[in-house]
Amino acid sequence: MPPEGRPSVAGLLGLLALRFQLLRETRFGSFGPVLVALAVIWLWFGITEPAFLSPRNIYFLFMQSAVVGTLAVGLTVVLLLGEIDLSAAAMAGVCAALLAVLLLGGMPAPLAILAAIALGVTMGLAQGVMVVFVGIPSFVVTLAGLLGFQGLMLKILGIQGAINMRDPAVRALTTVALPPAWGWGLGIACALAFAAFALHDQMRRRARNLEADSVAALCGRIAFIAILVLAAVGTLNNYRGVPLLVVVLMALTAILGWVTTSTPFGRSLFAVGGNAETARRAGMSVRTVRVAAFGIVGLMAAIGGIVGASRYASVSFNAFAGGPLLLEAIGAAVIGGTSLFGGRGSVWNAILGALVIGSLGNGLDLSGASAADKLMFSGAILLLAAAMDAVSRRGANFTRGGGA
Amino acid sequence: MPSVSNDEEAGRPDVPPHLLATGVNKRFGGVEALCDVTFGVRRGEVMALVGDNGAGKSTLMKIIAGALRADTGSFAIDAEPVQIASPHDASDLGIRIVYQDLALCENLDVSANVALGAEPVKRGWGFLPHFLRPLDDLAMEETARDAIDRLQVRTLHSVRARVGNLSGGQRQAIAIARAVGADSSVVLLDEPTAALGIAQTRQVLDVVKRLRDTDHAVVYISHNLRDVFEVSDRITVLRQGRNVAVYETAQITPDVIVAAVTRGLEEATADAA
Ligand SMILES: Nc1ncnc2c1ncn2[C@@H]1O[C@H](COP(=O)(O)OP(=O)(O)O)[C@@H](O)[C@H]1O
Ligand SMILES: [Mg+2]
Repeated sequence: MPPEGRPSVAGLLGLLALRFQLLRETRFGSFGPVLVALAVIWLWFGITEPAFLSPRNIYFLFMQSAVVGTLAVGLTVVLLLGEIDLSAAAMAGVCAALLAVLLLGGMPAPLAILAAIALGVTMGLAQGVMVVFVGIPSFVVTLAGLLGFQGLMLKILGIQGAINMRDPAVRALTTVALPPAWGWGLGIACALAFAAFALHDQMRRRARNLEADSVAALCGRIAFIAILVLAAVGTLNNYRGVPLLVVVLMALTAILGWVTTSTPFGRSLFAVGGNAETARRAGMSVRTVRVAAFGIVGLMAAIGGIVGASRYASVSFNAFAGGPLLLEAIGAAVIGGTSLFGGRGSVWNAILGALVIGSLGNGLDLSGASAADKLMFSGAILLLAAAMDAVSRRGANFTRGGGA
Repeated sequence: MPSVSNDEEAGRPDVPPHLLATGVNKRFGGVEALCDVTFGVRRGEVMALVGDNGAGKSTLMKIIAGALRADTGSFAIDAEPVQIASPHDASDLGIRIVYQDLALCENLDVSANVALGAEPVKRGWGFLPHFLRPLDDLAMEETARDAIDRLQVRTLHSVRARVGNLSGGQRQAIAIARAVGADSSVVLLDEPTAALGIAQTRQVLDVVKRLRDTDHAVVYISHNLRDVFEVSDRITVLRQGRNVAVYETAQITPDVIVAAVTRGLEEATADAA
């Protein structure tokens, strides 16, 4: 016990932890840390590298972060359960390779894309079954998956080790940008829809005499989203317009965000991640939920593979399985604020985390940093995010001890 | 041998139990947690379940709530045989429980915990499978607010507070609020006052009485014999996983219960003689 009245290190740490925790308490507040990180990085590179905040660079920043973001969104779903999937990048590689081979063989693009997605979901579900029904820790199952799927990717690619992607439909995913007017229309529609939903919800809360947010908080939230969306559209329109890829990924993230926060399935994800025994006793089908989560990683990995194949205009081992893709995706999810301990996180945070990783890489490239510097910076940021996660979890324990 | 029930001597032998569990056996590896236990509770009565730590009270409650499967045992509601193989079965039969360890999700808010496993969904989304329909958050918050208002937990101001940040008493109130929601006929309370102060314990006892007055079948587990004697109509005593006896509360004294809990029936009756 520290002496009374003298601030101890543990006490200060506890106070700090409490702060972090309260910050992350609200649904909106969980964006705080990652948004601050993003703002600091953009401010720093915006000052030191004039090219960083140019519309052209922002456009490429979004494109560069797309594959990492897609995988991070999928990984968030298993992280919510307190599980991990180390095979996400390798699954993306296998799906991309299958897509390339099928297209090379003359299959129409929509069919080939469906086949790649089906393969991704199957691989994910298979690993989920191994975790849930055989009882092997997800770390081990997906480590085996990582190795096995890397081998499978090499097998599918054949001796050349790389296949060029010329299919116009697949390429269009990452080369087409919306005409500026469409971009504005879509951006404004999104902002209005968000405002309408938020206002409608608050009005119904007031009508039913439930807790409602203050008018200031409500307006602030709507203004914040509207400014963010419209600033992004304006910037992108100054270069080539809003990329089709960004629209597709936002739509996918919105759907997954809705599924994870606003459906019975999503509620059981959080419940199982928070306390699996409680979820079981409440009658939730814990096993189904866990297997499904791995299936969702497979789905998002397949989509990430398709996006990657389209963007790099080729499918090669190093672009997926052999490179830093997996670690960047896990890093993005954790930097976004999703807890490695399960039960807390959001897919939108994963997108922001992917932007942090992408911005860091992009900015360091611009400032001529070496690969060594980039690796060390990324490591430091990831460690910082994981430390915040661990400390804010401790915060929860401190309050519990003091409460009863 | 200890008698399974002494209803015959204890009046109201005509009233059949609403919920009846017979011949319940449960082993955990080498530990015989329950051995041929019979347990019944009528509507409109509070049945106290007492016994030392490890007597098997919680195990019996978990089995009735479907959270554990008995090795053998049969169950009946109003003399109709029923299956209790899962928590779903139990809740479909109107059985609600407050677990001794509360069983809350600390990462979710109060309203989500009250609704856990039975989340209401919005109407008009029938084209989606149930697990993908939108949750009715407002209905959940209303239910939680009403349930907590009824328990008069004045310190709990928001149903949107995360349970991980709440005190032991507040958590206990949430666990109780979850169990005493609408359409239940059996409410099992496993040491619901263990973490509570005097005032909150009083409120829980009031809730228990209100449940009895609304014709619920209530099972109340507690080590506090004063509370047990205040609220219960009958008392079932378990000892080392076996039935000792069932008493009419009005016809005995706490000393009888203490003797039965610690030494079993033969010694207790020998004592009294
Ligand atoms: N999950 C379990 N695994 C192994 N043994 C258990 C388990 N649950 C209970 N037991 C054992 O069963 C016996 C009865 O426990 P319990 O029902 O919790 O008693 P009570 O609630 O009356 O204190 C104890 O000996 C306990 O150690
Ligand atoms: Mg117990």
